[in-house]
Amino acid sequence: MPLTSFEIGYAQEALGRRLTREELVLLEAEWSEHCSYKSTREELKRLKTEAPLVIVGPGRDAGAIKLFDDVAIIARIESHNHPSALDPYNGAATGVGGIVRDVISLGAKPVLLADALYMGSGRTRHSRWLSKNIIRGISDYGNRLGIPTATGLAWFSEAYEKQPLINVACVGIAKPEGILPGSVKPGDPIIMLGNTTGRDGFLGSSFASKPLDESDVAAIQVGNPFIEKLIIEALTEAFDKKLLSLVKDLGGGGLGTAIVETAAQNDVGVVIHLDRVHLREPDLEPFEIIASESQERMIVVPRNEGALGELFSIFDKYGLEYSVIGYFSKERKVKMLFRGLPVVDLPVGLAVSPPKTPREVLGREPCNKEAPMLRNIDLKEAVVKVLSSPRVSLKAVIYEQYDWGVGGRTSLPPGYGDSAVIWLMDNTKRGFAVAVRGNPGYTRLDPFVGAAISFAEAYRRVASVGAEPLAALDNINSGNPEKPEQHYYTLRMIEGIAHASQALNLPVIGGNVSLYNEDESGSMIDPVASVLVIGRIEDVTKALTTIPIGDSPLVLAGDTKTELGGSEVQRVLLGRGYGRPPEFKPIEEKRLGIFAKEVSEKGIANAAHSVSLGGVVATAFKMAYKGGVGVTIESTAICDCDPVEALFSESQARILYEVKREKLQDFLSLAKAFDIKAGVIGNTLKDERLFRLTHRSNKIMELGFEDVSEALEGLENLG
Amino acid sequence: MRRVAIMKYPGTNCENETLYAVRNVSKLDGKVVWHPDFKAREWDAVVLPGGFSYGDYGRAGLIASWSKASRELLNAFDYGLPILGICNGFQVLSELGILPGNLLYNASAKFIAKWVNVKFHNPRGPWLSLISDGEVLPMPIAHAEGRYYIDDVEPIIGEPWAEYLENPNGSIQSIAGVSRKGGVALGIMPHPERATFPWQSLKYTTGGRRIFESIGESLRRGW
Repeated sequence: MPLTSFEIGYAQEALGRRLTREELVLLEAEWSEHCSYKSTREELKRLKTEAPLVIVGPGRDAGAIKLFDDVAIIARIESHNHPSALDPYNGAATGVGGIVRDVISLGAKPVLLADALYMGSGRTRHSRWLSKNIIRGISDYGNRLGIPTATGLAWFSEAYEKQPLINVACVGIAKPEGILPGSVKPGDPIIMLGNTTGRDGFLGSSFASKPLDESDVAAIQVGNPFIEKLIIEALTEAFDKKLLSLVKDLGGGGLGTAIVETAAQNDVGVVIHLDRVHLREPDLEPFEIIASESQERMIVVPRNEGALGELFSIFDKYGLEYSVIGYFSKERKVKMLFRGLPVVDLPVGLAVSPPKTPREVLGREPCNKEAPMLRNIDLKEAVVKVLSSPRVSLKAVIYEQYDWGVGGRTSLPPGYGDSAVIWLMDNTKRGFAVAVRGNPGYTRLDPFVGAAISFAEAYRRVASVGAEPLAALDNINSGNPEKPEQHYYTLRMIEGIAHASQALNLPVIGGNVSLYNEDESGSMIDPVASVLVIGRIEDVTKALTTIPIGDSPLVLAGDTKTELGGSEVQRVLLGRGYGRPPEFKPIEEKRLGIFAKEVSEKGIANAAHSVSLGGVVATAFKMAYKGGVGVTIESTAICDCDPVEALFSESQARILYEVKREKLQDFLSLAKAFDIKAGVIGNTLKDERLFRLTHRSNKIMELGFEDVSEALEGLENLG
Repeated sequence: MRRVAIMKYPGTNCENETLYAVRNVSKLDGKVVWHPDFKAREWDAVVLPGGFSYGDYGRAGLIASWSKASRELLNAFDYGLPILGICNGFQVLSELGILPGNLLYNASAKFIAKWVNVKFHNPRGPWLSLISDGEVLPMPIAHAEGRYYIDDVEPIIGEPWAEYLENPNGSIQSIAGVSRKGGVALGIMPHPERATFPWQSLKYTTGGRRIFESIGESLRRGW
């Protein structure tokens, strides 16, 4: 979105002169919503961001926590929604590229990618084209980097038919003392490393800060994973030799934004010779060099002058291009020259301080219709419909295109656990767990509770494998901040994340806000908050999978209420969600989290699965199907209510366990000690491959594996 | 201690976990070697690990096969240095002509990453010495260009070779791996280094471990 006349007037008044073309472009990028967070900056201050473990909180390229005394985790999440709507392959691929560069900017080795994809129904040619290419883009780029994409989520709905949401996250590891300080001082030279600067992605950050327009296709970046791989290799070598003091990704807003932000953070000025930048096309104009978002480019600053020679020889070894483009200065100004002539001369303070943008918010809760009652329905039909919903069905067709195992660290691959469990491969059995969740069905009905539940579900999925949740990252995807009724969702989702982070006592170490997700007719996508949670696990061999072994009791830990608001069964039977989402229960979640860790450490369960979409019935049937074992469930053991409500309720703070038969009493006593409601709700079977539901011991439904295999594996047609 | 080179081209991805397996399972002295620096005579065996050498531009393994290291590899093959190519390494060895046949795009035209069961036939030579004939070892595959093709499979199945129990990619005769010189030079598409420790697989056995144990034993005691 171009600068408003108010913003231009504000800048010109501060300078006492007209802005140059280059300055206009620089400010347009820097003051864009994408880079400045001008609509949400104040709200974001409400998040809990501090904890003893936090090494780097929000604000830098990525956040960092101490996982163990000698291991730090570095992580970041970011959306690439707008580019992926127009060019799904390159949009998704460069989303991966950007997030990886953010994580290496702190001196980390990237070891995990995660993605949260919200895509169209799959019933139109256009939505299939989008999802196929998004998945292929992530696969081609991530696989080539040698970083496993080992967890994620895929949501499908008409709300994303033309505008998918792509949230990608990267997690890296480093020694705590190896995290780059990111500080520079006057006189330090600035090296630009990597790909050439071309016309692709020109002002991409500005394009992402307004509603979509198909003529913007030139604003999309094109990726080259091979160059990125070489950058990772070269920088890893440079980190090992301690040659660098700062590394910064050229992301949204390109060179201009990266330079201005670095100067502002370090309280210094900067002088850049734009004609020194290595270019793809020789006739690039200076304003294009400032705002190009060509991929695989980074700014690096050597630790001292003596490091330069060694640094250049590393870059040469990998055949990487680089140029020395300027230096940091004492005078707090951003100066850019082109062939000796000044084209930008702005005070750093002005460049990073857009005038306040007042945003109106429609302060009332959206009025949700109560749902028609779902009783006396055909249970078999309901079960098959829920299992065949693409949101519920098996996602192998997606994750089998991702190299989830490269690196040799993946201890729990996608499809086998509630979260990815990554082994540190350091002659110990230590590791970490990562899960990402988001439910647009809930956030559409109630953005506050919906966002808090995203947080709780990611938290619970990390806990259920046996890890201890330590930190979170969030990605808000919402509508147009200039429209009060849409901006309401943005602010309420941020408040929901803030509330959850306080209530679950988990710091948020980074995040991203993507706004203007509306189509040309001005209607907003289903707004959603993706939340990624990272946890610590002392012994990866104790991590619980979701795969049962059969002939053992099924125990539901946690309380079930008749909560069908915004549930999957509503969506598949009534066409949409109604009412209120389930209650967010932080105290119960925390208690359940500590309990789950004990269960895994004591080794008293075979399998564990957080109960979410589709309720107990979908959770249990998916577990059983994957384990190749049958299952039988008594509905009144879940909740003494109508079977539909018991089976499909999406009450939070519940984990379904297959408990070791001989450890059942231990398990139940442990639950009692934690004051957690837990009871046997059924059994896994050994020889019968069927799903059976009973109500007061009367059989109310039975399905064979062959009746549901089509439903559960229906996504095949999409990928 | 016997020394194993882990070859690294630009774009190689799997050198670290391969090195970890060589050191911790084979109990050999392993080192990652940057391709132009590779001198065959300095090593007792060499592994070409997985990845996307040179971004797989053109064809997987093609550009890497033009590396300076190739002359060393061809020479080493002639005098009988144990050579193992895993995934992209197999593709490089096949481009080089050290191993027969070609690796084409998967029949599904997609990248496939999943666990598969691999059956080893006529296992012998330094990499397979501890594996018994017909033994099935589960390991993951992760490739886009793994559909093995050759006009005549007869010479292949006379040597040590590996077969997918369920063909994931359309390979002729379900071929997952081939060898020459009685298994001294071996190429396999599945990744043994990702199936070496129980916690890399959970539900699965450590199918790949046997290959790393074999090379350790073989280099210490002969094969």
